[in-house]
Amino acid sequence: MTNSMSKAVEVLKSFNPFVEEIDDREIKISLSNDKVISALDVLKSIGFSHLSLITCVDWIDDNQFELVYILFNWEDGGKILVSTRIDRSNPKFITVKELWPVARFYEREIHEFFGIEFEGNDDMRPLFLELWDEKPPMRKDFDPSKYSKEKFPDRKYEKDVIKEAKIFRGEING
Amino acid sequence: MKERTMWEQIADSLRSRSLWMLHYCTGCGAMELPPTMTARFDMERFGVAPMATPRQADIMLITGYLNTKTLRRVIYTYEQMADPKYVIGFGSCTINGGIYFDSYSTINRLDYYIPVDVYIAGCMPRPEAILEAFNYLMEKIRKGEADGWKRYKENYEWYKQNQIRSLGEVYVHDEFHE
Repeated sequence: MTNSMSKAVEVLKSFNPFVEEIDDREIKISLSNDKVISALDVLKSIGFSHLSLITCVDWIDDNQFELVYILFNWEDGGKILVSTRIDRSNPKFITVKELWPVARFYEREIHEFFGIEFEGNDDMRPLFLELWDEKPPMRKDFDPSKYSKEKFPDRKYEKDVIKEAKIFRGEING
Repeated sequence: MKERTMWEQIADSLRSRSLWMLHYCTGCGAMELPPTMTARFDMERFGVAPMATPRQADIMLITGYLNTKTLRRVIYTYEQMADPKYVIGFGSCTINGGIYFDSYSTINRLDYYIPVDVYIAGCMPRPEAILEAFNYLMEKIRKGEADGWKRYKENYEWYKQNQIRSLGEVYVHDEFHE
């Protein structure tokens, strides 16, 4: 753990986080969802000023979405994954665009691929998908194979036994 | 196939010796093009050169997977190209979807949307395969068999119907351009 990361763990003690060490430059801090925004604010003020990514994991068996904020420290290269779980049936969270303006785009992406609303971020136009007409595609209950079969026709292959036998015997090139 | 007149035969034979390839890289296959174009494999010795704009190009090389978003742009680009135009489908993604066969956003066969003259199988095809495909395409042009652009005109309704089935709408709505 780098100095900045041990400092961050020290500072976040009062939030009673669950800290998991991934390797010597990366830790994961899991928090309950009402403490995340203030924890991110604290982390930003002590040097974790770079928001690398906001991403999401669909834990369908627990009926939860996991939001992961990946923060980076330019002082010593420390990386912190701040993770929280929100309810899957009513996916709503609060935007962090006031802390990092770039979060607008990550939130748009998560809204597009997981269907999570971010309160305070009104710009939720589609970012990557065009004319999407199904449920958000990165959810675990979305079946991409079925969608692909319906929408994109496959090539039909016919089995030509005689040709295969000729290739096998080396009479023609396959 | 219709019998070609003598002038058409001469024109085809001349066309096959001066091909300009639209440098439109859609998927990971774009990686194989720099060595094909430059000194290592040098496709210019076969008379094929890269071109930056669709209106002056003859060949469109679809390098790899196409998702619905890219396919719209590819159809735009293809329709902008002047006749005669030829399409080479590059890599297994254009043939049957490749490893993206079950993806929610990637099409499975290219010749359903635009006519394809030559396919190159493989993931990835090597630069030798690309040069082989160019030579094969030149052969087809000389024989008058590379008639994808004619087929597109004759079966325009069918192609359009397939495009609309998979894309919903071909027209591009883009927040950066509207």
